[in-house]
This record gives sequence, structure tokens and C-alpha cells, in this order.
Amino acid sequence: MIITGFQGESEGARVTVTGGFSPGSGQLGVSKAFIARDAADLLLPNSPSHEHAEASGRGVLLLADGSRHEGDLFGAATIAEGELVFTTNMTGYQESLTDPSFAGQVLTFTWPLLGNYGIAAGISESAGVWPRGVVCRELMMEPDHRHCIGTVHDLLLAHGVPGISGIDTRAVTRRVREYGVILSIFGPIEKEAEMVEILKEMESPDLADLADEVSRDDPVFLNEGATDTEGKPLPRVAALDCGIKYNILRELCTRFEVLWCPPDVDWSELCSTFQIDALFCSNGPGDPAHPGKATAARRTLAQATKQGVPVMGICLGHQLMGLASGLRTYKLRYGHRGGNQPVLDIQTQKVSITSQNHGFAVEDPVKGMLAPHPSGANSGEVDNLTGCDVEVRFINANDRTVEGLDVKGRPAFTIQYHPEACPGPHDANPLFDRFENLVANHMEVKANAKTR
Amino acid sequence: MPRRDDIQKVMILGSGPIRIGQAAEFDFSGSQACRALRSDGYEVVLVNSNPATIQNDPEMADRIYIEPLLPDVVKRILEIEKPDALLAGMGGQTALNIASNLAHSGVLAELSVELIGCDLRAIDEAEDRDLFNQVCSEIDLPISQAMACNSIEEVLAAADELGKYPILIRPAFTLGGLGGGTAWNTGELVEIASQGILHSQIGQVLIEESILGWQEFEYEVMRDASDNCIIVCTMENIDPMGIHTGESIVVAPAQTLSDRDHQGLRDAALRLIRRLDIKGGCNVQFTVNQDTGEFRVIEVNPRVSRSSALASKATGYPIARMAALIAVGYTLDELPNPITGEGTTAAFEPTLDYAVVKIPRWPFDKFRTADRTLGTSMKSTGEVMAIGRNFEEAMLKAIASLEYGQPHPRPLTLADASDGESMDERAHEPLPDDILANWLKVATDRRLGALVEAFRRGMGIEEVRDGTGNITRWFLHRFKKIAEMEAEIVAADCEARDITEVQMRTWKGLGFTDAHIADAIAGFPASGWNRLPEGRTEIDVMKRRHELAIHPRFRMVDSCAAEFAAVTPYYYATYEGGSAPLGVDHVPAEKKEERQRLVVIGSGPIRIGQGIEFDYGAVHAVQAIREAGHEAIIVNNNPETVSTDFDTSDRLYFEPLTTECVAEILLREGADGILLQFGGQTAINLALPLDDRMPHLSEQGLSCSMMGTSPDAVDEASDRERFEAFGERSIIRLPNGRTGKTPAAIRAAVAEIGYPVLVRPSYVLGGRGMEILTDDDQLETYMADAYIAPDKPLLVDEYLGGAIELDVDAVCDGEDVLVGAVMEHLEEAGIHSGDSTCFIPTQNVSEEILTKVHEWTKEIGIGLNIRGCFNIQFCICRNELYVLEVNPRGSRTFPFVAKATGIPLARIAAHITIGDQLANMEIPRRQTDAVCVKAPVFPFLKLRGLDPAPGPEMKSTGEVMGSHVDAASAYLKARLATELPVPTRGGVYLTVKDEDKGHLIPMARSLQEMGFTLHATQGTARHLRDVGGLDVETCYRIAEGQSPDALDLMRTGKIHLIINTPRNSGGAVLDGNMMRRLAVELNIPFVTTMSGARMECQAIAVAQEGMPEPRRLIVDYI
Repeated sequence: MIITGFQGESEGARVTVTGGFSPGSGQLGVSKAFIARDAADLLLPNSPSHEHAEASGRGVLLLADGSRHEGDLFGAATIAEGELVFTTNMTGYQESLTDPSFAGQVLTFTWPLLGNYGIAAGISESAGVWPRGVVCRELMMEPDHRHCIGTVHDLLLAHGVPGISGIDTRAVTRRVREYGVILSIFGPIEKEAEMVEILKEMESPDLADLADEVSRDDPVFLNEGATDTEGKPLPRVAALDCGIKYNILRELCTRFEVLWCPPDVDWSELCSTFQIDALFCSNGPGDPAHPGKATAARRTLAQATKQGVPVMGICLGHQLMGLASGLRTYKLRYGHRGGNQPVLDIQTQKVSITSQNHGFAVEDPVKGMLAPHPSGANSGEVDNLTGCDVEVRFINANDRTVEGLDVKGRPAFTIQYHPEACPGPHDANPLFDRFENLVANHMEVKANAKTR
Repeated sequence: MPRRDDIQKVMILGSGPIRIGQAAEFDFSGSQACRALRSDGYEVVLVNSNPATIQNDPEMADRIYIEPLLPDVVKRILEIEKPDALLAGMGGQTALNIASNLAHSGVLAELSVELIGCDLRAIDEAEDRDLFNQVCSEIDLPISQAMACNSIEEVLAAADELGKYPILIRPAFTLGGLGGGTAWNTGELVEIASQGILHSQIGQVLIEESILGWQEFEYEVMRDASDNCIIVCTMENIDPMGIHTGESIVVAPAQTLSDRDHQGLRDAALRLIRRLDIKGGCNVQFTVNQDTGEFRVIEVNPRVSRSSALASKATGYPIARMAALIAVGYTLDELPNPITGEGTTAAFEPTLDYAVVKIPRWPFDKFRTADRTLGTSMKSTGEVMAIGRNFEEAMLKAIASLEYGQPHPRPLTLADASDGESMDERAHEPLPDDILANWLKVATDRRLGALVEAFRRGMGIEEVRDGTGNITRWFLHRFKKIAEMEAEIVAADCEARDITEVQMRTWKGLGFTDAHIADAIAGFPASGWNRLPEGRTEIDVMKRRHELAIHPRFRMVDSCAAEFAAVTPYYYATYEGGSAPLGVDHVPAEKKEERQRLVVIGSGPIRIGQGIEFDYGAVHAVQAIREAGHEAIIVNNNPETVSTDFDTSDRLYFEPLTTECVAEILLREGADGILLQFGGQTAINLALPLDDRMPHLSEQGLSCSMMGTSPDAVDEASDRERFEAFGERSIIRLPNGRTGKTPAAIRAAVAEIGYPVLVRPSYVLGGRGMEILTDDDQLETYMADAYIAPDKPLLVDEYLGGAIELDVDAVCDGEDVLVGAVMEHLEEAGIHSGDSTCFIPTQNVSEEILTKVHEWTKEIGIGLNIRGCFNIQFCICRNELYVLEVNPRGSRTFPFVAKATGIPLARIAAHITIGDQLANMEIPRRQTDAVCVKAPVFPFLKLRGLDPAPGPEMKSTGEVMGSHVDAASAYLKARLATELPVPTRGGVYLTVKDEDKGHLIPMARSLQEMGFTLHATQGTARHLRDVGGLDVETCYRIAEGQSPDALDLMRTGKIHLIINTPRNSGGAVLDGNMMRRLAVELNIPFVTTMSGARMECQAIAVAQEGMPEPRRLIVDYI
């Protein structure tokens, strides 16, 4: 099945898929492209059957503040527990549901009609559905789109994720806005008593090593041998996967030969075995200060920065760079999740409308921890591992929190938001070009150094 | 970039009179712009010819000119005022055209006036089709292309290039598209194209890809001088391509675009606004093929528009205000987000957590003969908007807001197909399937009801999609859901008291009104929704609902889906489940004792007979309430208006103006009072139903009074018999009149009064169905077509021929009466007062009569126990004064009176309404010595099938004002402001009815003396020659079928003015109609009354001397 996407778009956003995820397919110089699974593959004809039971009947959503909200269950028949967050995107639910950064969370959509255009093949952001549960006002069971291969209900069911509809999501959103993200549970109304007990005992999902749950276990080339139009090999970039979104990999593959790595891949292995030219660190779920795989990735980032290798980080990658540079990270009151967040470039004074999905932030070296969660959770003092200073390059035009860092004297920068969009606006897409240029300059310097 | 300090004085152009395609939205955007710039310290000069706007209230701008919006006039004002900059993007196409004209002719450069907001190149590139196509191809955006072909070979080559069918063929240069069509294969292509080449005067056809049936989307974009761009709102039309977006039912945000689709269009919109270098707001329209995902750019409006007004109200984001501030240099990130306040910036994209539906309001309920087909030109006069938490709720609320007399879709019957009043017997017959199929196929105002009906009858999604030319399936599923839910309610078939809580919550949650539920449980009886059986009435459903404690939640329109706390008090109601207290957005703060909560009811959609002037009234009422230190709450559903701007009132509820919705708002607010006199007939019509519900509402804890004139007094003034009884016992005199409830009684009444008679139904607005009848045949025809019932009698009046009509606007506090102005109509009585041209002060009325007018006005105000505003129509016939009617509410001339005399009657009336006394108030005295003229603007060009002549039924959409020291100059200005030319030379065609011939000679003589050539048909010509000794060119009557007749003369450019007093019968009726219709299309002015013709001659004399100087509006009632 070939699905050709929206014509007239920039080449980067064009989709040509047969299901699955294989950004290297058809790329110049690539003879054997790696193929990964797309979350929607399970809805394609002839896909393997799953064993999840289908939810039905009345359900109840319980929040840790004692409030309860009745609704109708859909997706898989299981209990959802996690930290309740909301996203304000009006489109792009499939991309959000498959975004690994939502691992550990119960995702509420503020846009009240979920699933208007159904689920499409080849546009998921990973192989799975990551929120532990989905909360919405109304579920659309008659989607309408030329690419539609199923409903949101079908996708959730196939991945064993429960959903609850008929919820006054505005009330829930206001709760989160006023008091911060909150632990929650939902499931069949008959099991309410049981769920009340579970909720009492529930621990923050941040305590788990979420980056480990959502990332690759072994390194793999996505587009080995990729070249430019003149046949010159593309620079080689290692992409640390802390829960990477597929569209980041798509964007990287158009510019680089990409090694898709686990977050705890060994730095020396990257240098010696894989001989990478640059390092990228992805988005991902959970607390950036978690001692698990996130910390391993932090160390790798620090090494690369220290050695002057070009580095780009997005979202969690940005927070890890902050920690590596000696800045604290902290939990935001309710985070930024949506496609309309204004980011101000301090250098150019221009605003981009960006796609965001994060619950933690890097402190501002001067103004400190802005818009913090009432719990005050933060990383505590950390050591500067890079030996470099960073400066704040981007801030959120609303709450002034840090949105991007430039490492002084190094070809390295990180951003809190999502230039790969999906979902969300493409305003920040040129940041990938910025990385490409940094790498190209670095390669030139390296080449000059060798010839000299 | 910061605020520009090199500019101090800015001129803003308004959009002129309200007309089809350009309605109140520019009063809203223009007012926002004036306010924004003024509060930022700029001096604002405003030019607008429309007196009914809030925009040209004295507090809105520093210097106001109510003058014709013509390049020469604006140029003169620029010379007088010498502003630094001209802001043209707030006044629609009218303002943009003037700015473009002044820029191209070098006037702006000469006077060193900078065009801000949108520069000349941007206007040209967006407006000129060829330039725009170049722009699009430059930045790689696809547009729908047309290829010109001169032979079949070229046609086939062009078809190959397009690569797919269907293909649209349009012959170049033919009248009425003769020989064009859509081809689905090569055979058809060859056939249609050869015909087209044949018919084309230059042997050419245009071959285009057909985009019929594609989806249509709109993107509202903002950009500042630093190149920051945002999308404020996306909108999706339910009607596929082929119907003007202003005529389409529109949903916001877009519902059926995936994120990739949406971001692709967003990128395209941003690329366009950047390439065009627009600084401010603009609107980009796209069409998308839902099957392939291909898209095309349709057009760009480089200014704020009707769509941006809708987008502002749909999201809360004040586009016009921001566009004005951007025009003077601010960047978006420097401006705080006005909705969420400090801590957020205007550089963000609103995100919604509700659905918005807009439905146009068409005038076909009034203009029964007009062609209802919707297409690429606009026919609607206004629109309604509704907000809900799902599409169905928003849609049903929007339908309830339309005020077509039926607040919800009902099963269609033959009565719906009758062009007349609903007919009882036909209401029992379901609409035949073939008619239904036709209603689905041809887009008209009836298609919406037909969609629900189709699903009610069990049609499938694909069947309806095919039958409607590709309405997107997603929407069809939603209509199907409404029909299914309705069937469930019908099947419940229970008394209101037996409705269960689950049922009630489910039904209300999908947007069903109490009236709809009542009607459905009663099985939609043929007798109508407002005559339901006991136990199943609307009020029974409301009582049951309240018993179950089911009330709507009031949600905030906050532009951010609750992510940030909003500071703007702008709400909509929705029914959703759950009882958690945190579900409530709007909990009214505790009331302070000294502050009352007063609710003002707006006037709903703009329609014929109820225009922007009632929005003006509502806004003034709000201002008065706030001046008095109380809280003003407004309820309205019209997105184009100033009243629905979130900072006009203390709290705004965007809701249907139905008894149910208003009652819930009163309850929620714990309102102390409600003001119904300022929102036109819409608000007045709520008086009795609300009065009925008050006992029940007070059981619910409400203690709210109807402020001002009591419902009983309203009834006494409006009810014919009661008013006649009042006339009997007072000094006033009424024309001889009767009321008839049956055809026999009406015949008897006519016999008693004698022909000619004026007949009309009671209790209607805008004179619907009012006619002058001269014989029995006409009477029988009229009665056959009218709906007569015991509760809907016909009124029969003696027709006072040749009378002078007067309009009086006044205020009464129970003890004193303040007369705002006595207006004299130019046209004799018999032409609807809303369509008349009128003068302040009166020109031909004796002191004696004027004194009587004042006495009677006082008698009526006090005698009818009016508290607040009222309007009286008088007429003077054979030097006797008569009272024609009393309207116990604000009238459409209130704003005109305020601007002509400086007396803000609406505001004074509102103060009285809330308890003040005239004696305690400082009333400004008349502040100008000028003569002021109000003239109507008609929609004849847009509405075919409508006789282009004023009559007893109101037809105008808006009005303009002209003022000068003398009446002729004032009239000339008003006439020019209507945008029809006033000729200063050329030919005049004269055709008048026999009784007018005597007056014709002096007029014809003066025209001849002014250098005009006279043309007339034989009879008139002979009369003018023989009796008047004038030179007249003779032509044939149209009915004679010989050349030249009047139509030939008009087409060949020989006629520049027509004086035509229509006859009531005979062949000349048709002749006159054809001639006026052609005059409308050729933009030739015509006058249909002798008094109008005399005035026209005087105006021509003034115009020949040159345009009178513009005059600044000097009134001050702040």
C-alpha cells in the first residue's frame, strides 16, 4: 500500500509509506534500510491479532485530590494509573498518543472531539502507544479521512491502553492548571473501591526509569551508506534514544547517516567503533535527573560537548544538557503540552510558535526556577561535567522559562521544544538546518586539520 | 519594533452603509481600531457615512466625519485634517478601494500621508488576479488555473495538461455564462467546448480544472513588522466549493484536517502573508480535495474581514485591535495577550476546547419572490454564531439563534415548501421525496433542514453525500446523530414529568433545546412547536429539567482551552455531565448591595428591518448601566457586532436569544433586571414568554424585574384593539382602521373603510406582508396568500394618500417626555419608514402641527405608561395629524437622531429604564444648525426576483447620513453616500403615473434648464411638449417590443437618471419592474416618488456647483 501525503508540502513532511517506519528507504546510497514498526501497523489488514479485551460500560476517573468524574470506557479493558496531564493541540492526537514522552502519564485532550480523522498508517511517532490512559470529552467513532485505517479506539485497544470519554475535560484541565499535574486512576465503575486503594498507594511515575522503558536496546543504522546528490557520504550522527520521536529520525535522516542508539550507549564505542561525526540527544519521558538511563545519556552528552563534537538536544536532551552544564532541572507546575507555545529567540527577538511536550525544565541561571510545581521537586545542585558555560538562547514568551541553550565556544545547542513538530507547527524546523550547518563546519575544520 | 512615534494622527476609514456582503463586522473592527489607537495616545480621524455605527460615536474618535466614502471626499478631508497616516484595512473593501485609488493617483504622496497596515503593493498583489497568480507561482503554491483556448485542438491539449476530469469550460465574453459547463470525459469536453467557442464573442473558452465538491477552509493570519506570524483560527465550510464563504455554514476550528494536512496549509498561509508582506490581519482561503489531499489557494483578503470578526468571536482573540497596533509599529510579542492578561503574549495561537458554528441569516423569509439559490455572490444579510462542547450542540444552538420563527429543525412538510406563511393544511403533508432530493442538491437556505430530514427518513451517509455534491462525511455523521437522537426522543413519547435524569442529560448534552424536546415528545404535531399539548410544552420540559437540577455550565471563551486563567468575562453555556463543582467556569462573584446586575438583550443577526442600529442601542444601554454604577451583562449571538466584543460589557454571554437561554442566564447571574427595549423586536418578543415564566423562575430563587415599559404596556401599544381603545380615550387621532380575524370580517372591514386600504398582519417587524390594496381582486389575492388565524389577525387601515409622514423618537419617564427629534420623511406615507429618506429638522411642517406632535407624543408616552424609549409614526394628511403606530422600544433612527442632534436618546432611555428621571439628567441641547438627512441603501443588485422599488414592505439593508447647512446639499451628500452616482449631465428618462403628470412639468423644465436631455414614451412626451413646451425625445414602451425603448436607451448609455413613479396595475407594472432591474444592474439611479424626484433635482443643482465641503461631526455627549 502506497499512501502519498499532502502535496505541495515541503519535501520533509511528505509521507510515502507502506506501514512501518523506514526513513532510509529510497534514500540515495542506501541499499539496506532499517525497518521499524509503526504503532498503527496493528490496524493494517493482515496484521497479527492482539489479545486485549475491549472495554465497555461506565467508568470513573479518580484524581488524587479526591475528585471523581464518571464517563464511558473505551480502548482496552484495563485500569489506567499515572500522572494526569493535558495537551491543548487540536489536531495530531495520533502523534501524541505514540509520543514516548507521554510514558507514565494519563493524557487528557482539551480539544473535546477525539479522533475526527481516525488513525493513519505510517505517521506514528513510535511503535507504541505510550500514555497509560486517555481521557477525552467525546470519542469519534465515525472518523473521516482518506488515510484513515481505524479509530482511536482501535489503536488503543490494539496496544492495550484504556480510554475514558464523556469526561468534563475542561474541569480536569482547570484542576491541573490550578494545582499542578496530579496522580490519577481510571477504570470500570464497579472497581471504584479497589481503585481508591490503588490511588492511595500510587507513586509518582517519575520514580521509574521511564527512559529505559521506551528506548532501543541496541544501536542500529537507519540509512547506512546514505549520500548526498553528488555521492558524498552524509556525516554520521548518533541519535541517543531516550524515547525518540520518529519524525526526529526522519528529519535527521534527510541530513545525516543516522545511528539510532540506546540512551546508555558507550561514548568510546560511538567514537571508536562507529566513528560518529556528531551527537544528537532526543526527547523522552520522566525526570531528567533520574539516576537510570537518563543519567547515562547525560554523561555521554557531556563527553561529546567537552570534546567539541557537534551536539543537538531536544526536550529531555535539552534538560540533560542543562544538568551536564551544572544547571538544576525542576518539575513545572503543569508543563507545556500543545502546539501553540510562543518561543522568543533572545538573539533575533523573533517569536516562533512551537510544539511542546514537557513537564520538567532547566532553571534560568539568573531568574532561577520559574513556574515550578507546588511539590518543589527538582534535581538539587549538580556538577558541571562539560567544563563549558551555557547561555540561554530561547525563552518561553509567556512564562519566561528556559527554552533553549547555546554552549559557549562549542558547536552545541539544545532546545526544550520540538522542531520536528508532529504534531504542531513547523516554525522551528530550521533548527535542524542549524545543526546540519554546525556539523558541516565541524567536518570542514576536521578535514582541514587532517590535510594540514 | 516599538510604537512608532513619528506618527501622531491617523485617519481610519469605515465601510459605509450596511449592505449584503459588508455588514456590521466593520463597525466591530473599526471600533476596536479606533479604541486601540486612541487609548495608545494617537489622534484618530474617522470617516464613515453610516450613522448607525458605534464607530462614529463621539467618544470613539477625536474627529469624526459622517461624509460619503468617495475618493474625492476623503481627499478633501485629508487636506483639511493633514493626518500622518491612513489606516484602510478596517473598513472592508470600500475603504481598501478608496485607499488604493488615493495611493495610485498620487494623492497620498502629495499630502505626505503614509498608508499603514497594508501597503499598496500588498493590496494590488492580493486583489489583482494576474498579479496574485504570479505571486503564488513564485512561492510554489498551487492555484486553480485557467487556460485560454481558441480551438478544439487547444482545448484537448489543455485537457491533457490538466490530466484529469471533470473539467470546467467557461466561454470568454458571453452574457450569463452561455455555453459553459462541466465535462466528465473527452466527448463532453468537445461538445461543450465547441458550443462555447461558438457563443463566445471572441471565439475563446477558458479550460479549468473543476474544484466543485472540494472542501473549503479559511485561515486567519496575523503578522507584524518583525515577521512574527500566527494563525488565529482555522475554519471549515460545511458547504463544499462553489458557495461563497459568507453564504456557507462554517465551523471553527477545522474538523476534518489531520495535523499534517493542517500544518501544510498553515505553512502555505504563512508563506503567502510573508511574500505579500502584510502587516496586520489577513484571511487566506484554501480548497482541498478530500480524496487526494491536493489543495489550491483560492484567495487572500489583505485586511480584516467578516471572517476575522467571526474568528475573533470564536477564539476571543481581538484581531482588529491587534492589527491596528501592529500598523503603528508594535510587534506581537510586545503586546500582552488581552485575554489572559500579563504573563502571556499576543504572539501565540489560540486553541479551542469547544466547537463554533456560524450560519448565515438570509432574507428569504421576507423576500418570498427572491431567488434562494446560493452561489458565488452573497445574499445573506447577517449571521449567527453559537458555541458548544460538541458540533451538534453548537449547530442546534446556531439554528435556535436564527429566528426564522422555528427554533429547531422539525420534520419537513409541504408547508415548508410554500412560499407564504405556514399553512395549516399543508403542514399535515410530509414533504415529497423528490422535493427533498432537490433541496439537498441545490444549495439554498433550505438545505440545512433537508440534511436533518434526509437522515430522519433513513437515508444513508453516501446517498446524502452524493445528493449534496460532496458534503464531507464527518458533518453528515453529525447530522445523522441529531436525527437519531431526535428519533429516540420521539420514541420516548412521554410527558415531560416522566423524562428521566439520564435521558434529560443525554438530550441536553447533544444540544437539544427544551422546545425541541417538548416538540419531539409531543411527536412534532402539525399545529406547531408553540402549541403543544398540556404536559409536553416547552415550559413543562424546563420545569422538569429544573426539578432534576439540570442547568447549563457557563464556560469561558479564553483562547487557550483553560491552560491559562483568563481575565475576559466572555461565556457560553453547555450541558455536560458530572456534578463536580470544579466543572463550573463561571460562578458569579458575590453581589455587592449597591450594584445591581442588569441584563441587556441584544438583537441577534442583522436582517432586513433589524440592523446594526439595534446593536447600537444595546451598546448604549450597557454604557448607561455602567455609568450608573451597576453591572451590565449582555446576551447576543451576532459575531459581527460591537455588543459581542468582550470588553463592551461587564459580562458577555454568547447565546441564542431564546426564552430558555435567557432564563438560564438570569438564574445563573441572579439578575436584578432585564432590559428588552434596546434589542429590536427580538428582545421585545421575549417580554411575554419571560413574563409567563417568571413565577417558575422566582420559585428557583430569581427576583428579576423587567426594566422599563411593562410587558402589559408593550402589549397595549402593540395590540391593535387595545391601542385603538387607548386612542378613543385620548386626544390623539388614528386612521380609520379595523382588525379582521376571518376573511369575512376582513371583507366587511374593507367595505366599511373603502379603498385604497393598507393591510398587514399584526405583531411583525419590518412591515412584512404589508400592502396597499385598491380593489377586491387584490384583496382576494392577498388573503389567499396570507395566514389568518384568530391569534394572528389582519389589520386593515384607511390609506392616507399623499400624506407627509413623520417619525418621532422620544423617551418617557412616566412624568416627562423628551422628544429627541421629529423627522420628516421625503417620501409620502405608504413607503416603509425604514426605507424612507428623512430629514432633521422637518422641512415642510407648520409650527402648529409640530406643537401638536409634541403634545401627542407626551400624551402617548405618559398615557401608555412608557418607561424608556419609544417611537411614534405620525402622518399629516390634508393638514390633519394622525398617529400611525407606536413602537414601545428603541427605534432604528435612534443613532441617526443622536448624531444629528447630539442627544444620545438610547443612553438617556436606558438611564430612565433603570430608574433615573429626566428631571435629574443633564440633557444636551441640539448642537448643530445643520440639516441632516438619512437615506436608505437597498440590496437590489444582490437579490434577483425582488422588485427594485421601495414600498410598504421594508427592503433596505442599511442607511447613510449626510449633513450640511442646507437641505439640498445634505441630501446630495446622503445620496452620494449610498454609492449611486448623482448625475450632473446626460439624459433623464421620465415615466410617471397619470396623477403625477401635473407635477412633472416644472421638474422636467428645471432638468432641461440644467442641461439634461429628456426622454419619455409617447404619452408623457406629448404632455411635456404640448402643455410644458419642452423638448423631449420619444421612445417606445417596452411592451411594444420596438427599438428604441427605455432599455435600449439605458444600455447605450443615454440615460443617467430615471424618474419613475410605479403604477399599481396594468402592463406598466412589468415595464417599470424590468426598467428598474436593468437600472440596478447598470448602476443608474432611479427615483420612484415625485417628492424624491424634486429633491433629486435640487441635489443635481448643488452638484453642478461642485461638492459641498465636508463637515466635522460636532456633538458631544460624553
